[in-house]
Amino acid sequence: MKATIENVKEVIAEADVLGDVDQMKNDTPLSEQGIDSLDAVNVYLLLEEKFEVKIPDEDLSQVQTIAGIVEYINNQLA
Amino acid sequence: MFGIREVASYLPEKKISNYDKKDKFELDDDFIENKIGVKFHTQKDEHEKASDLCVKAFENLINKIPIDKSNIDCCIVVTQNPDYNIPHTSAIVHGKLELSQTCACFDISLGCSGYVYGLSSIISFMQSNNLKNGLLFTADPYSEIIDHDDKNTDLLFGDGATVTFIANDALFIPKDFSFGTNGKDYKELLCKDKLYMNGRAVFNFTATTIPGHIQKLLEKNGLTDSDIDKYILHQGSKYIVDTIRKRLKVNEEKVPFCMYNYGNTISSSIPLILEEEFQNQENKKIVIAGFGVGLSWGSAIIEKI
Repeated sequence: MKATIENVKEVIAEADVLGDVDQMKNDTPLSEQGIDSLDAVNVYLLLEEKFEVKIPDEDLSQVQTIAGIVEYINNQLA
Repeated sequence: MFGIREVASYLPEKKISNYDKKDKFELDDDFIENKIGVKFHTQKDEHEKASDLCVKAFENLINKIPIDKSNIDCCIVVTQNPDYNIPHTSAIVHGKLELSQTCACFDISLGCSGYVYGLSSIISFMQSNNLKNGLLFTADPYSEIIDHDDKNTDLLFGDGATVTFIANDALFIPKDFSFGTNGKDYKELLCKDKLYMNGRAVFNFTATTIPGHIQKLLEKNGLTDSDIDKYILHQGSKYIVDTIRKRLKVNEEKVPFCMYNYGNTISSSIPLILEEEFQNQENKKIVIAGFGVGLSWGSAIIEKI
């Protein structure tokens, strides 16, 4: 399954993060939009499960924004 | 019936406030209360050892139920922070409690899965050897190994001890156990000089392994969620307990969370809650699940007699 802004936001919502995911900005770091370090770990796990990819610790700098997540996952799937 | 007769515990009076660490670790109240789930963590006196905590738990046990120490024929201590490398801490507890010289003593080196393993071990060992009255202690004083500059661990762990009295006239008996290990990832929770924990790896392990493990144990015993009154999960953090609960799809009321005022007490976390939940007469069937260092995990179904 290809990653899109919409289905990545669905995954973030699944992690029960605080706030309205629909209002989140695509190019702003998740950490600046109410997603703390524990939420982020859960989001990454849910992304790995949904898209069947691995996000190793050394790649976390590439998945700090929603747009970055979409690009990273689609590169992994390509 | 042979099984758990009583549980008692000891928590040190000294408590460290995580609110006092808000500036140091850049925390807010929501993170302390709703993510970590530890407002205060208990800390033993510096001179106290694991055996001292065990003795205090035993003193609380004999305030609840009369026990003739001369009849204790088995004593096990679950710890990875023993008094010394040599001898085993259970021998020191044996000496301090002045137990009989016919009493078998040994330690079990396990962390957060240790109570489940310990419960299975003491019951099997006692039944195999026709022993009658056993004490299963848990005491893992992590305050001795915490790096106070490490946000991953300094906020979480509390000192404490429990003792489970195993005898006839049991209140609860284990019906079935299930265990697992992933030794390839042992480095994710490791202590050389100070404790190191890879929080992401440990979270991923618990979230992906433990719900399915519990589900399989229920299926193996022909049980569904409706048969279970409580799920007592190792209190790793509030986030971990909540995550496992959501993945199991069980009601919040069935999953006690009780570490706000003492922290993650390693192998003591499950018996600390069991002690409370045994008072509730409506609890007939309880699932317990421990998971952590190793990586190791174990679950059991225990039933009221």
